[in-house]
Formats: sequence, structure tokens, C-alpha cells
Amino acid sequence: MTANDEDDISLAPPDSYAGQVLDAQLHLLDRQVLDTDGVPVTTVDDLEITDIPIDEPLRGTPAPTIINILTGATLGTRIFGGRPPSSRLTRIPYRDIKDIGVVVTLGVDAEVLDASWPERWVRDHIIAHIPGGHHDPE
Amino acid sequence: MILSDLLTRPVIDAHGHSLGRVLDVRFVIDGAPGQLLAEARLAGLIISPRAATSFLGYERTDEKSPWLIASYLRWRHRGSFFVRWEDVDRLTSTRIVLARSYRKRSAALPD
Repeated sequence: MTANDEDDISLAPPDSYAGQVLDAQLHLLDRQVLDTDGVPVTTVDDLEITDIPIDEPLRGTPAPTIINILTGATLGTRIFGGRPPSSRLTRIPYRDIKDIGVVVTLGVDAEVLDASWPERWVRDHIIAHIPGGHHDPE
Repeated sequence: MILSDLLTRPVIDAHGHSLGRVLDVRFVIDGAPGQLLAEARLAGLIISPRAATSFLGYERTDEKSPWLIASYLRWRHRGSFFVRWEDVDRLTSTRIVLARSYRKRSAALPD
């Protein structure tokens, strides 16, 4: 029980769970995402969950689950409000996540993810044209 | 659905009384087994009657330092509570409506 609860003794005790508990804002949003080799990929800008029907009774419907990590250009909307259109966000499937801790670790290589395309584009179209840009520094 | 469409959304009870806004959404990794992790199901909502955003989750832990910041943030979020997803009656385009029999639970994170 936190000090906050002591102010309101009418609260029922917190639920306990068998699995890992994640509060989205606290444990997921803005966390760094690493690929299976520990290479930084992106950060978690938002989450996509299974659809919740609007204006329909929810009792008896299964709880929504996370289906994708979303990432993209969110700086502008963070400053000015709102969020980018869903179609402008890049998705990393939840099924590719291996572990969620201080960072979110994926079980796949960054090379296969849409989220790392700018890095691949810069490597292939700019760095590769610089003399010596085809190999690691010696 | 995008999660940020739920965050900060106003919450009302079955009688239309305002209860606050969604401060956070709690997931639990205990759903159907997946490729690497089990499904993360939405367990419930953390609702604050006074603030729509949280900072470091002081209202959900026993963390007391630095004392001044912890005390201020805990005071700012006094009255925050957790409701199970089963206690949510419906989602409208602007609000979340809780069921008549909803129960306020402690928002504390399990140990």
C-alpha cells in the first residue's frame, strides 16, 4: 500500500498477477528498442492494441492486447498536441519482442524491420559512395 | 486502436459523474503464449481525479526520495485509483464509461 492509498481507505487492495505487469506510460512509452544483437533500433512512441468497439457494451468482450509497437515522427505532435495519423507510424510487431525491461529487446535483426529503413537508406545511398564507405574502419 | 487515444481520456461513472482522466493503462503479460512472449492483455486503467499525466509513477510506488518531489507528486495524484477492464462498461468517442458495479482499487504496482 502506498502513502497515496492511506488517504483513501475505501480502495480495494491491488490485484496481483502471475505475469509481468507493465504500466504503459511508466514501463513502455519512450523506452529504447534494441534488436537481437543489442543494436539500437528506435524508441517506443506509442502502442497499437486490438480494437475496442465504440458505443457498444464491453462486458464479456475479451480484454484488448498489444499488437504493435509504434514509432515515427512524433516530435511535432508532442510539442503542438495531437498525434500523427496512424498510417504515418511504423509498426514493430509485438510478437518480435523478446524481453521488456529497462529497454525493449527484440528477437529479430534490425535489418528486417521497417523502423530502421532511414539508417539503411543513408548507408546504401550516401555512406556507400564515400571512398572507404564499403567496409568497416581498419 | 492507438493507445494514446485512451490516455488522458475523461472517465465517468454510470450516472455521468466525472471520475477523472486515464493516467495510465496497465498491461499484464499473461495472455496466450506467443512466439517469444505471452500476449500482453489490458488489465485495467489507472485514473487520476486531479491530473492527466504522470511523472515517474510516484503515486504507484513507495518511493520516498527525493522527498520534496515524491511528496509533491503523490499529493498531486491523491485519489488515483485502478479499475479492472471488466469494470469498463463502454467507450464513447470522447469518454470512458464505467459499469454501475465498478470498484476502485489501489493503483499500487504489485511487488
